[in-house]
Order: sequence, then C-alpha cells, then structure tokens
Amino acid sequence: MRLAPNAALFNIAIAILAGCANQPSRMAADTSGRVTIVAPAAFPEKSLYQSESTWTTDQGKEIKLSALAGRTQVVVMFFVHCQFACPIVVNDMERIEAALPAEIQHGVVGFTLVSFDAKRDTPQALAEYRRTRRLPAKNWTLMCGRPDDVLELAALLGLKFKESANGQFAHSTVITILNAQGEIVLQQTGLNQDIRETVRLIRQLASN
Amino acid sequence: MWTHFHRSAQLKIWELILISAVIGLTGVENEGFGQTPPAGMVLIPDGVYRPLFRAESDPKEVPAKAFYLDILPVTNGGFLEFVRANPRWRRSRVKRLFADESYLKNWADDLDPGTNAPANVPVTQVSWFAAKAYAQWNGKRLVSVAEWEYVASASPARQDGENDIEFTRQVREWYTTPAPARLSAAGLGRSNFWGVKDLHGLIWEWVADFNTAMVTGDARGDNGFDRQLFCGGGSQGAKDVQNYPAFMRYGFRSSLKADYCVHNLGFRCAKDL
Repeated sequence: MRLAPNAALFNIAIAILAGCANQPSRMAADTSGRVTIVAPAAFPEKSLYQSESTWTTDQGKEIKLSALAGRTQVVVMFFVHCQFACPIVVNDMERIEAALPAEIQHGVVGFTLVSFDAKRDTPQALAEYRRTRRLPAKNWTLMCGRPDDVLELAALLGLKFKESANGQFAHSTVITILNAQGEIVLQQTGLNQDIRETVRLIRQLASN
Repeated sequence: MWTHFHRSAQLKIWELILISAVIGLTGVENEGFGQTPPAGMVLIPDGVYRPLFRAESDPKEVPAKAFYLDILPVTNGGFLEFVRANPRWRRSRVKRLFADESYLKNWADDLDPGTNAPANVPVTQVSWFAAKAYAQWNGKRLVSVAEWEYVASASPARQDGENDIEFTRQVREWYTTPAPARLSAAGLGRSNFWGVKDLHGLIWEWVADFNTAMVTGDARGDNGFDRQLFCGGGSQGAKDVQNYPAFMRYGFRSSLKADYCVHNLGFRCAKDL
C-alpha cells in the first residue's frame, strides 16, 4: 500500500499542524470493520509504528505494527514453550488489566504478546496458547513473525534474546507501555513487580 | 616514511598474489558449485563454528552453512549511493527511531561525505537499522554473529587463526589500541584465509543479531544473569576465557542499541547462496 508523494507530504503537513503531542488516533476500525492505514510519516519521530515489519496474528491475520495504533498498548515479547519467565510476565499483564477500571479495559488499552520463537510459534500455536491461558478474545493480540522482523522488534524495544539448542530462549523480561502513537512511555523490567506505577500511567494515558 | 611505503608496496604485491590464489581457489570450487560469488564478495564454504557463548545444553560446534561475504566493509562511497537512492536515509531526513543524533555526523552534508569521510574509507556512524536497510537495498543481508566470528577467526595463513600466535598477538594489539581520529581506507589490511579483509584492525562491525549477545558486567566471570532481568531459559557460558578480543566484541555488542551511531562502528554484508 503506497501513498502518492503529495499525499505523504499532506500527511506530514497535517502532523505538523496537529502537533505531535495531541494527535488524534491514527488508525481506527470503523463500524464496517474496515481499517484505515496511514503513511508512516503520520507517526512521531520515535514511534515504533514506523516499522515496516509484518506479523501474523493467532487468527491468521497479516498486520503491521501500526495496526496497534490508536490505543495504549501493553507489549511483551515471549515464547509459548517458555518454562520460566513468560508465564509470570503474562500473569503480570493480567494483573495490570485486572487493576484497570472497566471503562478503560474496554477499547482504550490493548495487550500484545509477540513471539521470539519464529520456528515453533505459528498462528495455530498462539491460538492454542490463547485457549489454554484463557486470554480474553477482546483487547489481547497475539502475533508471530519472521526471524528478521523478530530481531528488529526486539531491537526497537531494546530487548536481548538468544536461542539455545534445546529450543529455550534466554531473553530480557520487560513490559513496555506504548502510547496511542506507538512511542515507548515506560518499560518495566523484571518479574512480579509492583504494577501500581504502570497502572497509574496507563490510566493517565487513557484519560487523555 | 620511505620504509613504510616500501613495506606497504611489498604487502600489496603479496596481497595481489594471495587474492589471485584465493580467486583461483574459489574459481575451482565454484565450478563444482556452479556459482560465482557476486562482485566484491567471496564464498565462505560450509564449516564448523565454535560459539564463544553457549548454554550447557548447547553443542560445542555448530555447523555453519556456506554463504557469500563482502571482502571489504561498506565504504562512504557505497553508502552515498544508498542515501541518494533512498532519501529517507539521508542525514536530515532519517527518523530518530532508526538512528540517533550522531548519524553520519562526520559527513559534510546529506549527499556530500566531505573530506572527513573519503569515498574509500569504511562508513561509520550508522545505526543497525541503517545498515540493515542498506543490505536489503543491495539484495544482501547483515552477517550474523556466528558467521562473523567464524570468518574472523581465520588468520592470513590458516583457517584456525586461534592457533596462529602472530595473528592473535596482532589482533590483541589492535583491540588494546585507541581508535585513530581518522580511519584508513578499506582494503589496506591483509586478506585472511578466506580472502576477507579488515575484519580486525580498522573498525568494529554491526551484525544482524547483535542483540543476542547476553553479557552483563564482566562477561568472563558471568555464569548467570540476574534472574529478574533475564529469563535464563538458556543460561550462557563461555567457551574460551582466554579469547580476550572476542570477549571485547561480545561486550561491545551487548552495550549497543540499534539506533546508536558510533564513530568507529561500520558494517559489511552477507548473502545466501
């Protein structure tokens, strides 16, 4: 999907007029389910949504990162076969969700799990994970991608990971909060941390 | 001064002989493969890579599949062509997400490397994202840690450079010498066993999976991570605690972020067969 140069320029002009701090959501699904895609130029300088990487959700849908735009996102990289940290980090995400008031939980905040494991974590494996972990169908996005795109997203999030021969990944355990424009606003490192500050920030972002 | 010139002239003749020998060799091999390396690249045949860092469950040796590797690091001249063709990678237009404020800072202007960045000198002050985009634009890819270390472990004379005392001494010497204010041109160093140049002694290089170097603190004594910060699903241990330059590389890589643009950090590309 390419925009003509003048359309891209127009978008830049709009972004300048609107100012970066107070942009309307850049992408929204209307009632018909159609999605409006905007040029990367519409996002701020440090927005992850400028990435051109492509991903497949557990429902088999091909998306770009910019599909996550328009709401606050709680993002974690993980892998299905993780026997140590990932179940705890996913649990931390659930704690964050549970701590949010109902009106914020629905539609304003998204929870996104992206797999490190490009080989085994197929859309089917992710769908199975969603079932067994009983992750809500609403608000939670699970996705996998090609090794190259996994490396790039890890780089964008500042995460390190390494696969060992037994199929386990050593990896950073980080929960990243992205604002509606895809800029990193907070990274919480470690497991089973105090989530109060994170929840306070999400509520603040959601009420803007 | 004279002796310096004299010596480098001698070196060049020696290199020419060596290059022709290598080209001759790969030429013979290529007849078998039925493939010719793309211009400026050499074929690195199938081999065995012994990773420096590995989990206890990891094998000591990992088979390395054959690939093509750039003989030289990418130069300012080469990178200029890239930014000409890709305006969004010009210094004034690049997004801060993909490159920090030091991006091509040594260049005079967007399309003018200037006197500080001669065309034949390796391009530096480029981010991982920029290096990756350059490689893609060229129909290539960045080289992996394993591939880079595998090729860089060869000395001019032998594939297993770790057993070449003079080579390991020279490499150690470079790693303990501060980077000069001005970089030399690419291609002045000796070719290694594979016909690749400047892996040591000129610049540091980005690798595709730089963010897989899991090193914290002093890596040589580092046999575990803070379990809170890293999932130790594959806890890493080092193979050879004597290989100081390799530790420096792993340490350096682990200190990098993908948007960093560093004055002596460049890159070269690889390509699948």
